[in-house]
Amino acid sequence: MAAAAILQAALGTGREGQPHLSFRDLRKVYADGVAALDGVSAHVARGEFCVVLGPSGSGKSTLLRVVNGLTDLTSGQMMLGDTALSPKSLRGIRRRVAMVHQQFNLVERASVAANVLAGAVAEVAGWRAMLGWYPPELRTRVCEVVARVGLDEIHLPRRAAALSGGQQQRVGIARALLVRPEVILADEPVASLDPAISREVLGLLREAAREQGATVLCSLHQTDLAREFADRIIGMRKGRVVFDGKPALFDDRAEAELYEGLAVPSPETKEKAYA
Amino acid sequence: MREAILQTGGHPRPASEWHLRAPYDWRAALAVLLIATALFWSGQRMEVGKMLNLTGEAVAAGVGLKDESQVGKGLGRMIGALFPFVIEDRRELARITDLDRDALPMFTRIEATEVTTYHLNADTLQVEQQVEVKEYLVHPFGYLTKVLSKMVETFEIAIWATIISVLLSIPLAFFGARNYTPNRFAYSASRGVVSFLRSMPELIIAMFLVLGFGFGAIAGYLALGLHGAGFLGKFYAEDIEAADRKPQEALTALGAGKLRVLRAAVLPQVAPSYVAYTLYILDRNVRMAAVIGLVGAGGIGQELKGRYDTFEYGHVGTILLVIFLTVFVLDQVSARVRARLIG
Ligand SMILES: Nc1ncnc2c1ncn2[C@@H]1O[C@H](COP(=O)(O)OP(=O)(O)OP(=O)(O)O)[C@@H](O)[C@H]1O
Ligand SMILES: [Mg+2]
Repeated sequence: MAAAAILQAALGTGREGQPHLSFRDLRKVYADGVAALDGVSAHVARGEFCVVLGPSGSGKSTLLRVVNGLTDLTSGQMMLGDTALSPKSLRGIRRRVAMVHQQFNLVERASVAANVLAGAVAEVAGWRAMLGWYPPELRTRVCEVVARVGLDEIHLPRRAAALSGGQQQRVGIARALLVRPEVILADEPVASLDPAISREVLGLLREAAREQGATVLCSLHQTDLAREFADRIIGMRKGRVVFDGKPALFDDRAEAELYEGLAVPSPETKEKAYA
Repeated sequence: MREAILQTGGHPRPASEWHLRAPYDWRAALAVLLIATALFWSGQRMEVGKMLNLTGEAVAAGVGLKDESQVGKGLGRMIGALFPFVIEDRRELARITDLDRDALPMFTRIEATEVTTYHLNADTLQVEQQVEVKEYLVHPFGYLTKVLSKMVETFEIAIWATIISVLLSIPLAFFGARNYTPNRFAYSASRGVVSFLRSMPELIIAMFLVLGFGFGAIAGYLALGLHGAGFLGKFYAEDIEAADRKPQEALTALGAGKLRVLRAAVLPQVAPSYVAYTLYILDRNVRMAAVIGLVGAGGIGQELKGRYDTFEYGHVGTILLVIFLTVFVLDQVSARVRARLIG
């Protein structure tokens, strides 16, 4: 199944333009009553680099975490291709979706190689995972992706904790690329990096995803980076989508609306827009 | 504080009105007072005053400030009796049946000692002196060799006990870690077993097991292994709970199940402390293996008790020295292993 999915992703399926990810009226109310997602509907096309923007607390992380089921929905439907996210399909969906984290989420004591290999921990046979004895093809693949993210052979045995933030995020991306996921979720992947490194890391993520035909859903706080890298921007405010379109359409007015809340469209007009 | 913010409609109070609590207040003073009272009360029950008096006297006598002390005399006599350490093995020739005098075992020699005995002649009512020559087969390091071989046996008991502890505590830790246990029942059951094993003194477990398995090493390493699992199960589980969650979430997000996440994201984090705990248990097992021998559970303790009961304190001294040296060497080795792992 995974192999077929990878092939599809790499070669294209002749279904370009069809949504790869689709969100239908997603609602997430946390236990304390906060509606982090308040009726989110959107579609992301296959291979698109889609950036999610919005002020703090607007629900960007929640939206990303819904895709791989780290956060469960209160109502609504998330589809990956033809598969609807459900408790039953959860494992399968997670194996097709990789994630790059703001805090990198590496095992700091373990080596770079071990951290990247861990990206395949759900794919290999159980005994291999337990012994930590991954097949030789995977070790070759590790070298490939580590080189792809701009790290060197000397970094392979180094402990993750002994790398700079930018290098750690490269390891995080390498781990996400390892098993050729269909979708890469990146939640503020460059929030703790300086502007120059941020640009490099985002460029890297976009190029690598494009080579593999992966769809990317990436949340950001820097609107300039969003304009530079996105194929598509989704703007969120208070759990609702208030902007959805090409970066060219995301002008200063749209930005002010998004961050300062001028002229927020009412839910009714939004519904019409999607009807 | 919260209410204050709500009342002012989200506008925080000016900093001049803020209040930062002092680190200690009357509650801390009360706690200190309560603890002091409790210690005073307990100190009387435990005769701490008497202990200090007697120790003080013994120290004073030791440095010549006082003539003699009760404790010092008692301990001194006992410690004096440990010396000289006995390292040779000496057996009466008369009790050895098949000895070829022309071909003695390696390293051994025969020593003759004159033993003078006195006894009353019933006819003459005189005390008569009788000189008898007793011959001994002496092996100069015979006893040391025996103690060392007992120590090796003790070490083997400790190793097997440690292996049993580790094997038992792996599942106990999995079910006893709040964030990995499949359900509350498994969690409580596992924690219960762990507490039970830890609360049973190994000496008592060993006594029971000796009844079942007979005298010897089996009862010894089973007893130590069970008790050690109570310790390791608790500490392994608590480390799993305390491990950094971020990499665990990362692997969960990739579709890995609990066991795989444990292996790839938790184990690398906890490995150094697991090794440290396990080495501590090994060290403890070596020391405790000497103790549980007292109830017949094999190893050097059995030898120790035998010699102690027959007042052969020179032998006891040798045994204690060998135990000390073993523990010391083990400590050096484990310090090195730990340093390599953490570095
Ligand atoms: N586990 C949780 N329990 C309760 N409320 C939560 C939880 N996680 C998020 N929230 C709330 O949900 C809302 C959306 O949070 P979310 O983290 O998705 O925002 P965000 O857009 O990612 O913000 P940021 O840019 O600061 O990361 C916030 O009001 C937040 O307080
Ligand atoms: Mg966030």
